[in-house]
Amino acid sequence: MKPLSRREFVAGAALAALAAAPHRLHAAPAATPWRNWSGNLVAHPAGRLAPRDEDELVTMLRRTSGPLRPVGAGHSFSPLVPTDGHLVVLSEFTGLVRTDPQAMTAELMAGTRLSDAGRLLHAAGQAMFNLPDIDRQTLAGAIATSTHGTGVNLKSLSGYVTALRLVTPAGQVLDLSAERDPDTFHAACVSLGALGIVTRITLRNRPPFRLQTRFSVAKTEEIIDCLEACAADYRHFDLMPFLHGDYALVTAQRETDDPAVPTTAADDDAGFIELVKLIDRTPVAERRALINSAVSGMAPGESVDWSFDALTNFRFDRFNEMEYSVPADAGPACLREILQAVASDGIEVAIPLEYRTVAADEAWLSMYHGGPRVAISVHRLAQHDFRPLFTRVEPIFWKYEGRPHWGKVHSLGYDRLSALYPRLGDFVALQESLDPRGRMLNDHLRRMLGK
Amino acid sequence: MTTRPARRARLRLCLFLAGLLCGPAATIAATPAVEPDRAAAYAAAFSTAALTPEVQRKWARSCALCHVRGEGGAPRMGDSAAWQPRLAQGDAVLMVNTLEGLERMPPLGYCMDCELGDFAAMIQLMVGRR
Repeated sequence: MKPLSRREFVAGAALAALAAAPHRLHAAPAATPWRNWSGNLVAHPAGRLAPRDEDELVTMLRRTSGPLRPVGAGHSFSPLVPTDGHLVVLSEFTGLVRTDPQAMTAELMAGTRLSDAGRLLHAAGQAMFNLPDIDRQTLAGAIATSTHGTGVNLKSLSGYVTALRLVTPAGQVLDLSAERDPDTFHAACVSLGALGIVTRITLRNRPPFRLQTRFSVAKTEEIIDCLEACAADYRHFDLMPFLHGDYALVTAQRETDDPAVPTTAADDDAGFIELVKLIDRTPVAERRALINSAVSGMAPGESVDWSFDALTNFRFDRFNEMEYSVPADAGPACLREILQAVASDGIEVAIPLEYRTVAADEAWLSMYHGGPRVAISVHRLAQHDFRPLFTRVEPIFWKYEGRPHWGKVHSLGYDRLSALYPRLGDFVALQESLDPRGRMLNDHLRRMLGK
Repeated sequence: MTTRPARRARLRLCLFLAGLLCGPAATIAATPAVEPDRAAAYAAAFSTAALTPEVQRKWARSCALCHVRGEGGAPRMGDSAAWQPRLAQGDAVLMVNTLEGLERMPPLGYCMDCELGDFAAMIQLMVGRR
Protein backbone atom coordinates (compact mmCIF):
# COMPACT_ATOMS: atom_id res chain seq x y z
CA MET A 1 0.00 0.00 0.00
CA LYS A 2 1.51 3.32 -1.00
CA PRO A 3 2.15 5.89 1.74
CA LEU A 4 -0.42 8.64 2.14
CA SER A 5 0.44 12.21 1.27
CA ARG A 6 -0.18 14.79 3.99
CA ARG A 7 -3.31 15.96 2.20
CA GLU A 8 -4.63 12.42 1.90
CA PHE A 9 -3.89 11.79 5.58
CA VAL A 10 -5.79 14.91 6.66
CA ALA A 11 -8.63 13.99 4.33
CA GLY A 12 -8.79 10.52 5.81
CA ALA A 13 -8.95 11.94 9.32
CA ALA A 14 -11.79 14.27 8.33
CA LEU A 15 -13.79 11.44 6.77
CA ALA A 16 -13.12 9.24 9.79
CA ALA A 17 -14.60 11.91 12.04
CA LEU A 18 -17.76 11.96 9.92
CA ALA A 19 -18.06 8.19 9.89
CA ALA A 20 -17.49 7.86 13.65
CA ALA A 21 -19.85 10.60 14.81
CA PRO A 22 -22.98 8.50 15.59
CA HIS A 23 -21.32 6.80 18.54
CA ARG A 24 -21.64 10.05 20.49
CA LEU A 25 -25.38 9.54 20.73
CA HIS A 26 -25.13 7.62 23.96
CA ALA A 27 -23.32 10.48 25.72
CA ALA A 28 -26.52 12.37 26.53
CA PRO A 29 -29.33 9.86 26.92
CA ALA A 30 -31.98 12.19 28.27
CA ALA A 31 -31.77 14.84 25.54
CA THR A 32 -33.57 14.79 22.21
CA PRO A 33 -30.64 14.48 19.83
CA TRP A 34 -30.48 15.67 16.26
CA ARG A 35 -29.41 13.34 13.47
CA ASN A 36 -29.23 13.84 9.74
CA TRP A 37 -31.10 11.76 7.15
CA SER A 38 -28.44 9.09 6.71
CA GLY A 39 -27.56 8.96 10.41
CA ASN A 40 -23.84 9.68 9.98
CA LEU A 41 -24.13 12.93 11.95
CA VAL A 42 -25.47 13.49 15.45
CA ALA A 43 -25.65 16.51 17.69
CA HIS A 44 -27.01 17.40 21.08
CA PRO A 45 -28.24 20.97 20.67
CA ALA A 46 -29.01 23.03 23.72
CA GLY A 47 -32.45 23.59 22.27
CA ARG A 48 -34.56 24.15 19.21
CA LEU A 49 -35.96 27.52 18.14
CA ALA A 50 -39.08 27.18 16.01
CA PRO A 51 -40.40 30.72 15.54
CA ARG A 52 -43.95 31.15 14.30
CA ASP A 53 -43.15 34.16 12.13
CA GLU A 54 -40.42 36.63 11.23
CA ASP A 55 -41.21 38.95 14.16
CA GLU A 56 -40.76 36.08 16.60
CA LEU A 57 -37.56 35.03 14.83
CA VAL A 58 -36.14 38.56 15.17
CA THR A 59 -37.05 38.59 18.86
CA MET A 60 -35.43 35.20 19.42
CA LEU A 61 -32.23 36.23 17.67
CA ARG A 62 -32.00 39.45 19.70
CA ARG A 63 -32.70 37.77 23.04
CA THR A 64 -30.24 34.89 22.63
CA SER A 65 -26.49 35.08 22.39
CA GLY A 66 -25.12 31.57 21.79
CA PRO A 67 -24.37 29.59 18.64
CA LEU A 68 -27.15 29.07 16.09
CA ARG A 69 -27.47 26.70 13.16
CA PRO A 70 -30.43 26.59 10.78
CA VAL A 71 -31.71 23.15 9.81
CA GLY A 72 -33.92 22.18 6.88
CA ALA A 73 -34.79 18.54 6.26
CA GLY A 74 -31.42 17.21 7.45
CA HIS A 75 -30.41 15.83 4.06
CA SER A 76 -26.81 17.10 4.18
CA PHE A 77 -24.14 14.48 4.77
CA SER A 78 -21.52 17.10 5.67
CA PRO A 79 -21.67 18.54 9.21
CA LEU A 80 -23.23 21.88 8.34
CA VAL A 81 -25.90 21.55 11.03
CA PRO A 82 -24.41 20.03 14.22
CA THR A 83 -24.14 22.51 17.09
CA ASP A 84 -24.21 22.50 20.86
CA GLY A 85 -26.09 25.78 20.64
CA HIS A 86 -29.60 26.15 19.24
CA LEU A 87 -31.04 24.74 16.05
CA VAL A 88 -33.28 27.15 14.17
CA VAL A 89 -36.16 25.25 12.56
CA LEU A 90 -38.35 26.96 9.95
CA SER A 91 -41.15 24.41 10.01
CA GLU A 92 -43.74 27.19 10.41
CA PHE A 93 -42.29 29.14 7.48
CA THR A 94 -44.08 27.30 4.70
CA GLY A 95 -46.29 28.11 1.74
CA LEU A 96 -46.64 30.37 -1.24
CA VAL A 97 -46.62 34.07 -0.36
CA ARG A 98 -47.32 35.70 -3.72
CA THR A 99 -46.86 35.25 -7.45
CA ASP A 100 -46.19 37.69 -10.26
CA PRO A 101 -47.72 36.20 -13.44
CA GLN A 102 -46.09 38.79 -15.71
CA ALA A 103 -42.58 38.35 -14.35
CA MET A 104 -43.30 34.63 -13.82
CA THR A 105 -41.86 34.75 -10.32
CA ALA A 106 -43.13 33.41 -7.01
CA GLU A 107 -42.19 34.14 -3.42
CA LEU A 108 -42.20 31.10 -1.13
CA MET A 109 -41.52 30.80 2.56
CA ALA A 110 -38.07 29.30 2.99
CA GLY A 111 -39.15 26.25 5.01
CA THR A 112 -41.42 24.97 2.22
CA ARG A 113 -40.52 21.44 1.18
CA LEU A 114 -39.79 20.97 -2.52
CA SER A 115 -42.55 18.34 -2.63
CA ASP A 116 -45.04 21.02 -1.61
CA ALA A 117 -43.52 23.80 -3.73
CA GLY A 118 -44.15 21.91 -6.97
CA ARG A 119 -47.86 21.53 -6.32
CA LEU A 120 -48.32 25.04 -4.92
CA LEU A 121 -46.65 26.56 -7.97
CA HIS A 122 -48.58 24.32 -10.36
CA ALA A 123 -51.87 25.53 -8.90
CA ALA A 124 -50.64 29.08 -9.42
CA GLY A 125 -49.73 28.46 -13.07
CA GLN A 126 -45.98 28.19 -12.59
CA ALA A 127 -43.28 25.53 -12.43
CA MET A 128 -39.66 25.53 -11.32
CA PHE A 129 -37.20 25.18 -14.18
CA ASN A 130 -35.49 22.24 -12.56
CA LEU A 131 -35.56 20.14 -9.39
CA PRO A 132 -33.28 17.74 -7.58
CA ASP A 133 -34.48 14.17 -7.10
CA ILE A 134 -35.10 14.30 -3.34
CA ASP A 135 -38.23 16.33 -2.73
CA ARG A 136 -38.25 16.22 1.07
CA GLN A 137 -35.67 18.99 1.22
CA THR A 138 -36.68 22.49 2.20
CA LEU A 139 -36.21 25.31 -0.26
CA ALA A 140 -33.85 27.12 2.14
CA GLY A 141 -31.70 24.03 2.65
CA ALA A 142 -31.56 23.34 -1.07
CA ILE A 143 -30.39 26.78 -2.09
CA ALA A 144 -28.01 27.10 0.88
CA THR A 145 -26.03 24.16 -0.55
CA SER A 146 -26.40 24.85 -4.29
CA THR A 147 -28.55 21.76 -4.71
CA HIS A 148 -29.17 20.89 -8.36
CA GLY A 149 -30.81 18.57 -10.84
CA THR A 150 -29.45 17.80 -14.29
CA GLY A 151 -29.61 19.57 -17.65
CA VAL A 152 -27.01 21.16 -19.90
CA ASN A 153 -28.95 24.42 -20.00
CA LEU A 154 -30.34 24.31 -16.47
CA LYS A 155 -28.81 25.89 -13.38
CA SER A 156 -28.78 24.79 -9.77
CA LEU A 157 -31.77 25.96 -7.73
CA SER A 158 -29.72 28.92 -6.48
CA GLY A 159 -29.42 30.17 -10.07
CA TYR A 160 -33.19 30.82 -10.23
CA VAL A 161 -33.40 32.92 -7.06
CA THR A 162 -34.29 36.54 -7.87
CA ALA A 163 -34.73 37.83 -4.32
CA LEU A 164 -34.60 36.63 -0.74
CA ARG A 165 -35.08 37.86 2.79
CA LEU A 166 -32.22 37.34 5.23
CA VAL A 167 -32.51 37.92 8.98
CA THR A 168 -29.02 38.52 10.35
CA PRO A 169 -27.86 37.10 13.70
CA ALA A 170 -28.39 40.56 15.18
CA GLY A 171 -32.02 40.50 14.07
CA GLN A 172 -31.67 42.89 11.13
CA VAL A 173 -34.03 42.10 8.23
CA LEU A 174 -32.42 42.42 4.77
CA ASP A 175 -34.43 42.20 1.54
CA LEU A 176 -31.87 41.25 -1.08
CA SER A 177 -31.82 41.08 -4.86
CA ALA A 178 -29.29 41.44 -7.66
CA GLU A 179 -30.41 45.07 -8.06
CA ARG A 180 -30.66 46.06 -4.40
CA ASP A 181 -27.44 44.66 -2.91
CA PRO A 182 -25.74 42.41 -5.47
CA ASP A 183 -22.80 41.31 -3.33
CA THR A 184 -24.84 40.22 -0.33
CA PHE A 185 -27.45 38.71 -2.64
CA HIS A 186 -24.99 36.57 -4.58
CA ALA A 187 -23.40 35.45 -1.31
CA ALA A 188 -26.78 34.63 0.24
CA CYS A 189 -27.89 32.53 -2.75
CA VAL A 190 -25.50 29.79 -1.52
CA SER A 191 -24.94 30.78 2.11
CA LEU A 192 -24.29 27.45 3.90
CA GLY A 193 -26.57 28.95 6.55
CA ALA A 194 -23.62 31.08 7.70
CA LEU A 195 -24.97 34.58 7.08
CA GLY A 196 -28.18 34.42 9.08
CA ILE A 197 -31.62 32.91 8.60
CA VAL A 198 -33.19 33.03 5.12
CA THR A 199 -36.96 33.31 5.60
CA ARG A 200 -38.37 33.98 2.10
CA ILE A 201 -37.16 33.10 -1.38
CA THR A 202 -38.39 34.44 -4.72
CA LEU A 203 -37.85 32.14 -7.69
CA ARG A 204 -37.94 32.81 -11.41
CA ASN A 205 -40.23 30.17 -12.85
CA ARG A 206 -41.92 29.17 -16.11
CA PRO A 207 -45.36 27.88 -17.12
CA PRO A 208 -46.16 24.30 -16.06
CA PHE A 209 -44.82 21.58 -18.36
CA ARG A 210 -44.77 17.82 -18.72
CA LEU A 211 -41.75 15.63 -19.29
CA GLN A 212 -41.46 12.42 -21.25
CA THR A 213 -39.01 10.19 -19.39
CA ARG A 214 -37.18 7.52 -21.36
CA PHE A 215 -35.24 4.89 -19.51
CA SER A 216 -32.69 2.70 -21.22
CA VAL A 217 -29.59 0.65 -20.52
CA ALA A 218 -26.27 1.26 -22.27
CA LYS A 219 -22.76 -0.08 -22.21
CA THR A 220 -20.92 2.36 -20.00
CA GLU A 221 -17.94 2.75 -22.34
CA GLU A 222 -20.18 3.48 -25.31
CA ILE A 223 -22.29 6.06 -23.52
CA ILE A 224 -19.24 7.85 -22.13
CA ASP A 225 -18.00 8.29 -25.69
CA CYS A 226 -21.14 10.25 -26.57
CA LEU A 227 -21.80 11.91 -23.23
CA GLU A 228 -21.57 15.51 -24.37
CA ALA A 229 -23.76 15.01 -27.44
CA CYS A 230 -26.24 12.76 -25.62
CA ALA A 231 -26.65 15.18 -22.73
CA ALA A 232 -27.17 18.09 -25.12
CA ASP A 233 -29.89 16.17 -26.93
CA TYR A 234 -32.28 16.18 -23.97
CA ARG A 235 -33.63 18.68 -21.45
CA HIS A 236 -32.43 16.39 -18.65
CA PHE A 237 -29.89 13.60 -18.94
CA ASP A 238 -28.85 11.39 -16.05
CA LEU A 239 -26.31 8.58 -16.24
CA MET A 240 -25.87 5.93 -13.54
CA PRO A 241 -22.91 3.65 -14.32
CA PHE A 242 -22.62 0.54 -12.19
CA LEU A 243 -19.27 0.08 -10.53
CA HIS A 244 -18.02 -3.50 -10.93
CA GLY A 245 -20.21 -3.77 -14.03
CA ASP A 246 -20.15 -2.80 -17.69
CA TYR A 247 -23.59 -1.19 -17.94
CA ALA A 248 -25.22 2.08 -16.99
CA LEU A 249 -28.79 3.22 -16.48
CA VAL A 250 -29.72 6.18 -18.65
CA THR A 251 -32.61 8.52 -17.92
CA ALA A 252 -33.32 11.05 -20.66
CA GLN A 253 -36.17 13.53 -20.46
CA ARG A 254 -37.78 15.85 -23.00
CA GLU A 255 -40.63 18.32 -22.72
CA THR A 256 -43.85 16.98 -24.20
CA ASP A 257 -47.49 17.91 -24.80
CA ASP A 258 -48.58 14.29 -24.36
CA PRO A 259 -50.99 13.65 -21.48
CA ALA A 260 -49.55 12.53 -18.15
CA VAL A 261 -49.50 8.79 -17.51
CA PRO A 262 -49.90 8.31 -13.75
CA THR A 263 -47.22 6.31 -11.99
CA THR A 264 -46.69 5.21 -8.41
CA ALA A 265 -43.25 6.24 -7.22
CA ALA A 266 -43.05 3.57 -4.52
CA ASP A 267 -43.63 0.81 -7.08
CA ASP A 268 -41.29 2.43 -9.60
CA ASP A 269 -38.24 2.29 -7.38
CA ALA A 270 -38.79 -1.13 -5.83
CA GLY A 271 -36.92 -3.18 -8.43
CA PHE A 272 -33.91 -0.88 -8.46
CA ILE A 273 -33.66 -1.01 -4.67
CA GLU A 274 -33.86 -4.81 -4.69
CA LEU A 275 -31.15 -4.98 -7.34
CA VAL A 276 -28.82 -2.76 -5.29
CA LYS A 277 -29.41 -4.91 -2.21
CA LEU A 278 -28.69 -8.03 -4.21
CA ILE A 279 -25.44 -6.54 -5.50
CA ASP A 280 -24.57 -5.52 -1.95
CA ARG A 281 -24.92 -9.11 -0.77
CA THR A 282 -22.82 -10.51 -3.61
CA PRO A 283 -19.01 -10.81 -3.28
CA VAL A 284 -17.21 -8.11 -5.27
CA ALA A 285 -15.49 -10.67 -7.49
CA GLU A 286 -18.87 -12.06 -8.57
CA ARG A 287 -20.64 -8.78 -9.14
CA ARG A 288 -19.68 -8.08 -12.75
CA ALA A 289 -21.42 -11.22 -13.99
CA LEU A 290 -24.50 -10.48 -11.88
CA ILE A 291 -24.73 -6.82 -12.90
CA ASN A 292 -24.11 -7.46 -16.55
CA SER A 293 -26.74 -10.17 -16.64
CA ALA A 294 -29.39 -8.31 -14.65
CA VAL A 295 -28.92 -4.82 -16.05
CA SER A 296 -28.46 -5.73 -19.71
CA GLY A 297 -31.77 -7.58 -19.52
CA MET A 298 -33.75 -4.59 -18.33
CA ALA A 299 -36.45 -3.54 -20.74
CA PRO A 300 -36.58 0.12 -21.76
CA GLY A 301 -39.37 2.17 -20.26
CA GLU A 302 -41.22 5.40 -20.84
CA SER A 303 -43.55 7.63 -18.88
CA VAL A 304 -45.06 11.13 -18.94
CA ASP A 305 -45.51 13.23 -15.81
CA TRP A 306 -45.79 16.85 -14.79
CA SER A 307 -42.28 18.17 -14.23
CA PHE A 308 -42.42 18.19 -10.43
CA ASP A 309 -43.42 14.52 -10.41
CA ALA A 310 -41.05 13.45 -13.19
CA LEU A 311 -37.99 15.04 -11.61
CA THR A 312 -38.49 14.19 -7.93
CA ASN A 313 -40.25 11.71 -5.64
CA PHE A 314 -37.14 9.74 -4.89
CA ARG A 315 -37.55 6.96 -2.29
CA PHE A 316 -34.48 4.89 -1.53
CA ASP A 317 -32.74 3.22 1.36
CA ARG A 318 -30.55 5.62 3.29
CA PHE A 319 -27.02 6.14 2.06
CA ASN A 320 -24.04 8.47 2.44
CA GLU A 321 -22.78 10.41 -0.52
CA MET A 322 -19.72 12.23 -1.83
CA GLU A 323 -20.16 14.50 -4.83
CA TYR A 324 -17.76 16.75 -6.64
CA SER A 325 -18.37 18.86 -9.73
CA VAL A 326 -15.62 19.02 -12.32
CA PRO A 327 -15.34 21.25 -15.42
CA ALA A 328 -17.69 19.88 -18.07
CA ASP A 329 -14.94 18.90 -20.50
CA ALA A 330 -13.13 16.92 -17.78
CA GLY A 331 -16.19 14.87 -16.84
CA PRO A 332 -15.69 11.80 -19.04
CA ALA A 333 -12.03 11.37 -18.06
CA CYS A 334 -12.81 11.77 -14.35
CA LEU A 335 -15.66 9.27 -14.60
CA ARG A 336 -13.45 6.72 -16.38
CA GLU A 337 -10.72 7.06 -13.76
CA ILE A 338 -13.15 6.49 -10.89
CA LEU A 339 -14.63 3.41 -12.55
CA GLN A 340 -11.17 2.00 -13.19
CA ALA A 341 -9.82 2.74 -9.69
CA VAL A 342 -12.77 1.19 -7.87
CA ALA A 343 -12.72 -1.89 -10.08
CA SER A 344 -8.97 -2.46 -9.92
CA ASP A 345 -8.88 -2.01 -6.13
CA GLY A 346 -11.97 -4.19 -5.61
CA ILE A 347 -13.61 -1.57 -3.39
CA GLU A 348 -17.01 -2.42 -1.92
CA VAL A 349 -19.86 -0.40 -3.43
CA ALA A 350 -23.31 -1.43 -4.69
CA ILE A 351 -25.06 1.81 -5.69
CA PRO A 352 -24.16 3.12 -9.16
CA LEU A 353 -22.34 6.39 -9.69
CA GLU A 354 -24.40 9.32 -10.90
CA TYR A 355 -23.32 11.77 -13.60
CA ARG A 356 -25.25 15.00 -14.16
CA THR A 357 -24.67 18.21 -16.09
CA VAL A 358 -25.37 21.66 -14.62
CA ALA A 359 -25.18 25.14 -16.19
CA ALA A 360 -23.26 28.06 -14.69
CA ASP A 361 -24.70 30.58 -12.23
CA GLU A 362 -23.48 33.65 -10.37
CA ALA A 363 -23.77 32.70 -6.71
CA TRP A 364 -20.39 33.18 -5.05
CA LEU A 365 -20.18 29.73 -3.50
CA SER A 366 -22.09 27.83 -6.16
CA MET A 367 -20.25 24.75 -7.41
CA TYR A 368 -21.24 26.10 -10.84
CA HIS A 369 -19.88 29.62 -10.42
CA GLY A 370 -17.90 30.58 -13.49
CA GLY A 371 -18.84 27.86 -15.92
CA PRO A 372 -20.78 24.66 -16.65
CA ARG A 373 -19.75 21.56 -14.78
CA VAL A 374 -20.69 17.96 -14.34
CA ALA A 375 -21.51 16.55 -10.93
CA ILE A 376 -20.26 13.04 -10.22
CA SER A 377 -21.74 11.36 -7.14
CA VAL A 378 -20.53 8.32 -5.23
CA HIS A 379 -22.87 6.56 -2.79
CA ARG A 380 -22.49 3.96 -0.06
CA LEU A 381 -25.44 2.37 1.75
CA ALA A 382 -25.75 3.93 5.21
CA GLN A 383 -25.14 0.71 7.10
CA HIS A 384 -21.64 0.41 5.61
CA ASP A 385 -18.43 2.33 6.31
CA PHE A 386 -18.03 4.81 3.47
CA ARG A 387 -14.38 5.63 4.15
CA PRO A 388 -12.64 3.02 1.95
CA LEU A 389 -14.65 4.18 -1.07
CA PHE A 390 -14.61 7.92 -0.44
CA THR A 391 -10.92 8.13 0.49
CA ARG A 392 -10.03 6.30 -2.73
CA VAL A 393 -12.24 8.46 -4.95
CA GLU A 394 -11.75 11.93 -3.46
CA PRO A 395 -8.15 12.43 -4.69
CA ILE A 396 -9.33 11.59 -8.21
CA PHE A 397 -11.77 14.51 -8.03
CA TRP A 398 -8.91 16.78 -6.90
CA LYS A 399 -6.93 15.89 -10.03
CA TYR A 400 -9.74 17.33 -12.15
CA GLU A 401 -10.18 20.58 -10.17
CA GLY A 402 -13.28 19.18 -8.53
CA ARG A 403 -15.36 21.35 -6.23
CA PRO A 404 -17.10 19.48 -3.39
CA HIS A 405 -20.86 19.67 -2.97
CA TRP A 406 -21.32 21.65 0.25
CA GLY A 407 -23.95 19.28 1.60
CA LYS A 408 -22.07 16.05 0.90
CA VAL A 409 -19.08 14.32 2.45
CA HIS A 410 -15.73 15.93 1.70
CA SER A 411 -12.54 16.65 3.60
CA LEU A 412 -11.45 20.07 2.34
CA GLY A 413 -10.59 23.10 4.48
CA TYR A 414 -10.14 26.76 3.67
CA ASP A 415 -6.77 26.58 1.88
CA ARG A 416 -7.94 24.12 -0.71
CA LEU A 417 -11.46 25.54 -0.98
CA SER A 418 -10.25 29.10 -1.54
CA ALA A 419 -8.35 27.92 -4.62
CA LEU A 420 -11.49 26.29 -5.98
CA TYR A 421 -14.01 29.01 -5.10
CA PRO A 422 -12.60 32.40 -6.18
CA ARG A 423 -15.13 34.37 -4.10
CA LEU A 424 -14.63 32.41 -0.86
CA GLY A 425 -12.46 35.19 0.63
CA ASP A 426 -15.18 37.75 -0.16
CA PHE A 427 -17.75 35.45 1.43
CA VAL A 428 -15.68 35.19 4.61
CA ALA A 429 -15.37 38.98 4.83
CA LEU A 430 -19.11 39.39 4.37
CA GLN A 431 -19.83 36.68 6.93
CA GLU A 432 -17.68 38.50 9.49
CA SER A 433 -19.48 41.78 8.83
CA LEU A 434 -22.95 40.23 9.23
CA ASP A 435 -22.00 37.93 12.10
CA PRO A 436 -19.02 39.51 13.93
CA ARG A 437 -19.43 37.17 16.92
CA GLY A 438 -19.50 34.05 14.75
CA ARG A 439 -22.86 32.85 16.09
CA MET A 440 -23.74 31.14 12.82
CA LEU A 441 -20.58 29.00 12.74
CA ASN A 442 -19.81 25.50 13.92
CA ASP A 443 -16.51 23.61 13.80
CA HIS A 444 -17.05 22.45 10.22
CA LEU A 445 -17.80 25.96 8.95
CA ARG A 446 -14.87 27.45 10.85
CA ARG A 447 -12.59 24.94 9.17
CA MET A 448 -13.99 25.68 5.71
CA LEU A 449 -13.95 29.44 6.22
CA GLY A 450 -10.42 29.55 7.65
CA LYS A 451 -11.25 30.57 11.22
CA MET B 1 -29.52 10.27 -6.72
CA THR B 2 -32.11 9.50 -9.33
CA THR B 3 -33.94 6.22 -9.72
CA ARG B 4 -36.78 7.46 -11.86
CA PRO B 5 -35.55 5.14 -14.59
CA ALA B 6 -36.93 2.25 -12.62
CA ARG B 7 -40.29 1.67 -14.27
CA ARG B 8 -42.46 -1.38 -13.94
CA ALA B 9 -41.60 -2.80 -17.34
CA ARG B 10 -37.92 -2.97 -16.58
CA LEU B 11 -38.27 -4.13 -13.02
CA ARG B 12 -39.55 -7.61 -13.58
CA LEU B 13 -36.13 -9.11 -14.16
CA CYS B 14 -34.63 -7.47 -11.07
CA LEU B 15 -37.48 -8.54 -8.82
CA PHE B 16 -37.30 -12.05 -10.20
CA LEU B 17 -33.56 -12.23 -9.57
CA ALA B 18 -33.87 -10.79 -6.09
CA GLY B 19 -36.58 -13.24 -5.14
CA LEU B 20 -34.85 -16.19 -6.72
CA LEU B 21 -31.43 -15.66 -5.23
CA CYS B 22 -32.11 -14.10 -1.87
CA GLY B 23 -35.58 -14.95 -0.67
CA PRO B 24 -37.73 -12.44 1.15
CA ALA B 25 -35.95 -9.55 2.85
CA ALA B 26 -36.45 -9.02 6.57
CA THR B 27 -39.00 -6.30 7.25
CA ILE B 28 -38.76 -5.81 11.01
CA ALA B 29 -35.34 -5.25 12.53
CA ALA B 30 -34.23 -7.25 15.56
CA THR B 31 -35.14 -5.69 18.88
CA PRO B 32 -32.29 -3.48 20.06
CA ALA B 33 -31.41 -3.17 23.72
CA VAL B 34 -32.24 0.20 25.27
CA GLU B 35 -30.14 1.44 28.15
CA PRO B 36 -32.15 1.80 31.41
CA ASP B 37 -31.71 5.56 31.73
CA ARG B 38 -32.87 6.13 28.19
CA ALA B 39 -35.80 3.76 28.66
CA ALA B 40 -36.83 5.70 31.76
CA ALA B 41 -36.71 9.01 29.90
CA TYR B 42 -38.80 7.58 27.08
CA ALA B 43 -41.34 6.06 29.49
CA ALA B 44 -41.75 9.45 31.12
CA ALA B 45 -42.31 11.02 27.71
CA PHE B 46 -45.03 8.49 26.86
CA SER B 47 -46.73 8.89 30.24
CA THR B 48 -47.14 12.65 29.82
CA ALA B 49 -47.59 12.83 26.04
CA ALA B 50 -50.42 15.06 24.93
CA LEU B 51 -51.83 15.33 21.43
CA THR B 52 -52.12 19.10 21.31
CA PRO B 53 -53.02 21.04 18.15
CA GLU B 54 -49.34 21.97 17.89
CA VAL B 55 -48.31 18.30 17.95
CA GLN B 56 -50.95 17.53 15.34
CA ARG B 57 -49.45 20.22 13.09
CA LYS B 58 -46.00 18.74 13.58
CA TRP B 59 -47.34 15.29 12.72
CA ALA B 60 -49.00 16.60 9.55
CA ARG B 61 -45.75 18.04 8.20
CA SER B 62 -43.46 15.15 9.16
CA CYS B 63 -44.79 11.63 9.93
CA ALA B 64 -47.71 12.11 7.55
CA LEU B 65 -45.33 12.48 4.60
CA CYS B 66 -44.89 8.70 4.56
CA HIS B 67 -47.25 7.10 7.11
CA VAL B 68 -50.50 8.16 5.44
CA ARG B 69 -49.80 6.56 2.04
CA GLY B 70 -47.32 3.97 3.27
CA GLU B 71 -44.45 5.34 1.22
CA GLY B 72 -41.16 3.48 1.35
CA GLY B 73 -42.77 0.58 3.18
CA ALA B 74 -43.85 2.74 6.14
CA PRO B 75 -46.67 1.21 8.21
CA ARG B 76 -49.84 3.20 7.57
CA MET B 77 -51.47 5.14 10.34
CA GLY B 78 -54.11 2.98 12.02
CA ASP B 79 -53.05 -0.26 10.25
CA SER B 80 -53.09 -2.39 13.37
CA ALA B 81 -51.75 -5.50 11.64
CA ALA B 82 -48.72 -3.60 10.37
CA TRP B 83 -48.06 -1.98 13.74
CA GLN B 84 -48.55 -5.08 15.88
CA PRO B 85 -45.02 -6.56 15.51
CA ARG B 86 -43.55 -3.12 16.12
CA LEU B 87 -45.68 -2.56 19.22
CA ALA B 88 -44.55 -5.92 20.53
CA GLN B 89 -41.02 -4.56 20.78
CA GLY B 90 -42.15 -1.97 23.32
CA ASP B 91 -42.46 1.80 23.50
CA ALA B 92 -38.77 2.34 24.16
CA VAL B 93 -37.79 0.60 20.94
CA LEU B 94 -40.37 2.57 18.99
CA MET B 95 -38.79 5.75 20.38
CA VAL B 96 -35.24 4.60 19.59
CA ASN B 97 -36.28 3.80 16.03
CA THR B 98 -37.87 7.22 15.72
CA LEU B 99 -34.81 9.05 17.02
CA GLU B 100 -32.21 7.00 15.15
CA GLY B 101 -34.13 6.00 12.02
CA LEU B 102 -35.07 2.56 10.77
CA GLU B 103 -34.62 1.22 7.26
CA ARG B 104 -35.97 3.98 4.98
CA MET B 105 -37.32 6.16 7.80
CA PRO B 106 -34.82 8.90 8.59
CA PRO B 107 -33.90 9.82 12.16
CA LEU B 108 -36.53 12.09 13.70
CA GLY B 109 -38.95 11.25 10.88
CA TYR B 110 -38.33 14.68 9.32
CA CYS B 111 -39.51 16.53 12.44
CA MET B 112 -36.60 18.80 13.29
CA ASP B 113 -38.40 20.72 16.05
CA CYS B 114 -39.91 17.73 17.86
CA GLU B 115 -38.93 16.84 21.40
CA LEU B 116 -39.42 13.46 23.11
CA GLY B 117 -42.95 14.31 24.25
CA ASP B 118 -43.97 15.26 20.73
CA PHE B 119 -42.64 11.98 19.32
CA ALA B 120 -44.41 10.00 22.05
CA ALA B 121 -47.75 11.64 21.25
CA MET B 122 -47.31 11.13 17.51
CA ILE B 123 -46.39 7.46 17.95
CA GLN B 124 -49.50 6.94 20.08
CA LEU B 125 -51.58 8.61 17.40
CA MET B 126 -50.24 6.42 14.61
CA VAL B 127 -50.49 3.10 16.41
CA GLY B 128 -54.11 3.82 17.31
CA ARG B 129 -53.83 4.51 21.03
CA ARG B 130 -55.59 7.86 20.56
